[in-house]
Amino acid sequence: MDDTGTVVAFYLLSALTIAAALGVVVVRNLVHAVVSLILSFVGVAGLYITLSADFVAVTQVLIYAGAVSVLILFAIVLTPTGDRGNQETFLRLPALLLALLVAFTLGYVAIDTDWAISDREGFQQTASVIGEALLGKYVLPFEIASVLLLVAMMGAILLVRPEGAVEGE
Amino acid sequence: MTVQTEPFVVNLGPQHPSTHGVFRLRLTLDGERIIDADMVMGYLHRSMEKLAEERTYTQNIPFTDRTDYLAAMTGNLAYVIAVEQLCGIEPPDRAQWLRTIMCELQRIASHCMAVGIFANDCGAWQTPVMHMLRDREKVLDLFEMACGARLTLNYMRIGGVSRDVPPEFMPTARKLIKDLPKKLDEYEDLLLENEIIVERSRGIGVLTPEQAMAHSVSGPMLRASGVAWDIRKADPYAAYDKVDFDIAVGVHGDVYDRFVVRLAEMRESVKILEQALELIPEGPVHAQLPTATVQPIDQPVAPLAIRPPVGEAYGRIESPRGELGFYLISDGSPAPFRFHIRSPSYINLTPLKLMSVGGTVADAIVILGSVDIIVGEVDR
Amino acid sequence: MMPLDAEWYDFRDFGNTVGSLLEQIRDWGAPDWVPYVISGLIGVLAILLWTILSVLAFIWIERRVVGLMQNRIGPNRVGPNGLLQPVADALKLLFKEPITTRNADRILFWLAPIVVFVPTIVVFAVIPFGERMVLADLNVGVLFLIAVGSLNTIAVFMAGWSSNNKYALIGAMRTIAMLISYELIQVLVLLAAVLFVGSMRLGDIVDWQADHAVWLLFLQPLGLLGYIVAGAVEMNRSPTDIAEAESEIVAGYHTEYGGIKFGFFYQAEYLAGFAIAAVIVTLYMGGWTLWGLEEWVPGWLIFLTKLYGVFFIYIWSRATLPRLRIDQLMAFAWKFLLPLSLVNVMVVGGEKLLWQEAELSSGEALPLFGVINSAVAVILIGGWAWVLGHQRPERVAHRALLTKELGTIHFGEPAPTV
Repeated sequence: MDDTGTVVAFYLLSALTIAAALGVVVVRNLVHAVVSLILSFVGVAGLYITLSADFVAVTQVLIYAGAVSVLILFAIVLTPTGDRGNQETFLRLPALLLALLVAFTLGYVAIDTDWAISDREGFQQTASVIGEALLGKYVLPFEIASVLLLVAMMGAILLVRPEGAVEGE
Repeated sequence: MTVQTEPFVVNLGPQHPSTHGVFRLRLTLDGERIIDADMVMGYLHRSMEKLAEERTYTQNIPFTDRTDYLAAMTGNLAYVIAVEQLCGIEPPDRAQWLRTIMCELQRIASHCMAVGIFANDCGAWQTPVMHMLRDREKVLDLFEMACGARLTLNYMRIGGVSRDVPPEFMPTARKLIKDLPKKLDEYEDLLLENEIIVERSRGIGVLTPEQAMAHSVSGPMLRASGVAWDIRKADPYAAYDKVDFDIAVGVHGDVYDRFVVRLAEMRESVKILEQALELIPEGPVHAQLPTATVQPIDQPVAPLAIRPPVGEAYGRIESPRGELGFYLISDGSPAPFRFHIRSPSYINLTPLKLMSVGGTVADAIVILGSVDIIVGEVDR
Repeated sequence: MMPLDAEWYDFRDFGNTVGSLLEQIRDWGAPDWVPYVISGLIGVLAILLWTILSVLAFIWIERRVVGLMQNRIGPNRVGPNGLLQPVADALKLLFKEPITTRNADRILFWLAPIVVFVPTIVVFAVIPFGERMVLADLNVGVLFLIAVGSLNTIAVFMAGWSSNNKYALIGAMRTIAMLISYELIQVLVLLAAVLFVGSMRLGDIVDWQADHAVWLLFLQPLGLLGYIVAGAVEMNRSPTDIAEAESEIVAGYHTEYGGIKFGFFYQAEYLAGFAIAAVIVTLYMGGWTLWGLEEWVPGWLIFLTKLYGVFFIYIWSRATLPRLRIDQLMAFAWKFLLPLSLVNVMVVGGEKLLWQEAELSSGEALPLFGVINSAVAVILIGGWAWVLGHQRPERVAHRALLTKELGTIHFGEPAPTV
């Protein structure tokens, strides 16, 4: 984990992710902001790979960059004032100060903490371990998540159903 | 709680791979559903009707080629029948039979194109078009034998046809109608039961017979709605009262039925051609016209100027698209006073909005293909 | 399997050559990362070279084959027998003026062809072309394929949105709806395949098929059919090329693109086709193995033959079948394919459980499973289609009614059947 390849990759990917995340809040055009968001998702997936979490990385790309971002794009495109863009507001300076304060606090805490380094070996096959955990120890949250998705689907169908009788065929 | 939506307007055409020419359809869409369809025509208006008033009756025959450019024979014939009605000329028998043969060949060619393009509109990448154009080429070869042209034929004359067919015409025509039913079987095999074509066209663009008759629709569109009306039987011209054929009628009035009716009409045309090629008599192909000097019978004749008596006439025939009629008013001069074309495509387009509203954009394309318009006829 | 110490000139597997080169570099005392980088570079260059050559070749092949199916000769003017046609096409696209419409979103407009091209070529990194000819042998190879395929959705939307053109937007929306629905089907079908093998590594799947001397397509015919359809939709090819339905919305999401940008979309379509074909060959048709023939014939040659064969099926279906409407396609996915894939997963899962619990040997279990799965496939496809009202009266083909009476009305009468 300490070889130069991993370190270089970590710094490059972190720079990419942070730049993309900054782009999300700085860029004027909303659709460009979403594209930056997608880039940051892919960057985070890369960071997962440096931690040997291959399943999580691929799932990150699949779910976030593939599906969630499409959802956000549709939300922007279909709302009436979607092409409004990131507007100028008088709260920019206070927001920047607040963000810097939060970043400083988090950074100080992260650097100052005594992180406990685990001496266990990394997983070889993360997919099977995650699968066994999801269907063994964490089966209840798994099932609740699926019920949540069902509720969301039903809500979506109810929202777009035309008024009046259900269309036949 | 409903989601607020806003309809938006899309222009289908005038430049579009599928509007069969320069034709514009303004659709108001709500998502994919059409809520309004507005036709804008006139992109191909060539003011034929006014130009015809400057030319003699014979000089107007090439105009009729170019109104319906995929069915030039029938266009010529309708006009020529109108003039013959005005003048009271009776063409000889051989001319009548030749007219029948040419019109039926033209019907086969036009329906080949219509059916192929319909399958193309459904999305089959020109494969049916290529196959059906193969048969259309054989018909066009026959036309080239008879009158020297393939598309703008200019074959009919006032009082007959321009020239007799060469000796190699009859054997070639017989060979064509012997081979054609097998080809039609092959096309029906491939297209009739194709799941995707059935899904794309059954139940789409339904026109009830009352609606069809109220909008003066004619031709295969009317027959697909179930009304058995064919000018060849209702008001026989040329030699149609001497041949035996059926009227092909659909039962649902949708796009699939129009397609099926056109395929069946091709078979009926083959039947008519078989009888016509047997029964055609020998004889002159052009009548002796009163206003011209006596011309030798076996040479193509072009009378100098026909001056019909004052009056009006309406000559109509069954073109592959419907009832094609020419309304002529003569004031005794060599040029018509009024030359009006009742074009079937223009009238058949009237219920387009009725048929399209409620469907999707893809349906609108398919419905437009099933009406089988020729924009030259629509705009004249 | 082939011995691990094969010679460098053993071209049955190019991995031998590359492996010998890397050992040589290590012997020369290069630091650790140099062989790693060089092998990566060689792999990338090889894939790029192969894909570009294949696309060029297949532009010509597709047009000739489609032309022959349409009873005409295809391109035969440019070069001998038209073989330089792809070169002419590429040159034409390169020399065209790159027009960007005035109100288009310039950055996204420029970015969309790139974002379309990259995922399709990245797929080839995990496909095993031979025993040691894999660029990146991921443990989650199958999931990687799906994830990368889902990036296509974003690219299509970017292309459609940035063109500032209503047709393009309609095309983009249609495509996204289609792609998302069929991604689900893809995942379920691939899940069933992975269940049998027990691993998501593509190399493991090929090895499993070689060890048990059977192709997965014989064991999971329903899965193969589902994946063929889902794959056709993913690559926007007829009969499901709704996004670029030429006769309806001109060219869909790439209406406004011209020149080499359109060339990228065009190439990406072929590449996606090869990618889907490569996945089908790897997962269902044994990859680079052919029941022992790979001892004599190079594995990559077998793989390419199978890949081009599967791609030919897609060319064939493009030339012959008409196009479905978008709502019919979605109904097909959600009402027909999705229940079938779910039942497939359940059946396959049950079979795998039976195999492990009853401790059957593979010799007796696999033929049994093959027969069961084929029977289930036939019953499900026929039965579910019947339940959904497949041959109901208003969908039956018929002929025209022939009558001799004039003026009668026959609306609503029963029509003569075919």
